[in-house]
Amino acid sequence: MNGLLEVRGVVAGYGDGPAILNGVDLTVEPGRVHCIIGPNGAGKSTLLKAIVGMLKVREGEVRFRGESLLGQRPDQVLRRGICFVPQERALFPKMTVRENLRMGGYSLSDKSDLERRMDEVEDRFPILKERRDQIAGTLSGGQQQTLSMARTMILKPEIVMLDEPSLGLAPKIVLEVFEIMKVMADEGITILLVEQNAHLGLKHADRGVVLDLGRTLFEKPADEVLNDPRIQELYLGGRKAA
Amino acid sequence: MSALIQILVLGLALGGVYALMGSGLSLIFGVMRIVNLAHPSLIMGGAYVAYWAFRLGGADPLLMLPIAMVILAATGGLLYRLVFEREARSAKYSEMTVLLTFALAMVVEGLLGAAFTNTQRITSPEYATDAFFIGDVFIPKGQLYAGIVSLLIISALALFLKHSRFGNAIRATTQNREAAELLGVNVNLVGLVSFAIGVGLAGAAGALVSFVFSFFPSKHWEWIVILMSLVVLGGMGSVLGTVLAAFILSTVAAFVGFYFGATWSTLTFFVALFVVLLVRPQGLFGERPELA
Repeated sequence: MNGLLEVRGVVAGYGDGPAILNGVDLTVEPGRVHCIIGPNGAGKSTLLKAIVGMLKVREGEVRFRGESLLGQRPDQVLRRGICFVPQERALFPKMTVRENLRMGGYSLSDKSDLERRMDEVEDRFPILKERRDQIAGTLSGGQQQTLSMARTMILKPEIVMLDEPSLGLAPKIVLEVFEIMKVMADEGITILLVEQNAHLGLKHADRGVVLDLGRTLFEKPADEVLNDPRIQELYLGGRKAA
Repeated sequence: MSALIQILVLGLALGGVYALMGSGLSLIFGVMRIVNLAHPSLIMGGAYVAYWAFRLGGADPLLMLPIAMVILAATGGLLYRLVFEREARSAKYSEMTVLLTFALAMVVEGLLGAAFTNTQRITSPEYATDAFFIGDVFIPKGQLYAGIVSLLIISALALFLKHSRFGNAIRATTQNREAAELLGVNVNLVGLVSFAIGVGLAGAAGALVSFVFSFFPSKHWEWIVILMSLVVLGGMGSVLGTVLAAFILSTVAAFVGFYFGATWSTLTFFVALFVVLLVRPQGLFGERPELA
């Protein structure tokens, strides 16, 4: 039970409101892709926000490399190597593509290092180089998602948490998004993915985590979750596609 | 023909001053989502700094400008720490800040009135009553200098926002606060610095206003409507939009004043405020409001 990131019995909610998370457990293993699934309101996005310090953890423990993350601000969690790409609006819509990339490296102090890393990311995702002076808000949905995911790579993070990266995208573009995730995983980045489309998410993951009503139902290899009859019934809409 | 050029020149020179008066308001709204109704009263504060330095020591208002700017920026930083930082955690943030800034405007007006009385004031360095002539067109030196200095300050602000690391963090926070925070921006520090810069710009504007308009503590109520019309026409939170709106409305007001009399000139801003809110509430560069 010694994961890169460990979440134990976490209780959290928004402001003074009711708890959304009621004792979540999660073990994130280094170098793997983890997919969190569950019905609406299960607390998937809330869990990511609690890990990154956007929400106060009321009970429980969050540890990264054995050190507690409780009470840390998002910028402090980021500096430890955990990047969070929130749902939909992760970009600065009136800044150029290049400026958005530069903001991705805001926490780096070495400026020449930053420019070099930006060039590396542009080389890997040529569309970003092509569009570098375009205003980010005018990119297509798929390009915007590419930018917000690629932007995390500037920091060479240990963990990237993606909150529904496929939301609102056409099916063909969704596959491109998962391709980008694969590029990141191949770089050795550990991925924590929240995905509404459970089948698609699990197919691209090593580990599956099932949340319901703010608790962890179980965590196990993604293919086992895919084939679990209870899960098929509850979240995958019956039979699995071939 | 020369009359038209004359009006245009006067309108543009004043436009620069209005632009500087509005830019701080716009910056603070963009970053903090605070409609700072106290902004004109703080401009008034800057004007009194310049006025008393002139009265007591004969100091040139243009030389006093950096000092007024620093004094007001410090005041802004302090206000943020004491009042707005705490309020930012409240769920009723936007309603609270409207009331707070309204109350703050009253307090500043009261303090200025108590300290300096409600007498009309104006600083009168030599250039304020002098003019250049180009053919038939006369250009009052005071308005020209104020307009040029305003544009220099606004350009410096624009360069800072566009090209410095911290300036980028301010723009990023304006456009997407949550994403900025997730990328490591200390958004609270951005709030503090933006507030200080915004109020500092009010101080700078005050030093210029002190020789362009006559003023007394409660005159800020007239300015707030003028500044609101600039910020709304420009698009809430867009500094560039505010600057453009200042030139447009100031020029229109100059023409209205010429053809219909000075009383109607100020009315231009009030009418513009209503018309823009009715016809194009997002202004020139603002975001279209979500239809809920």
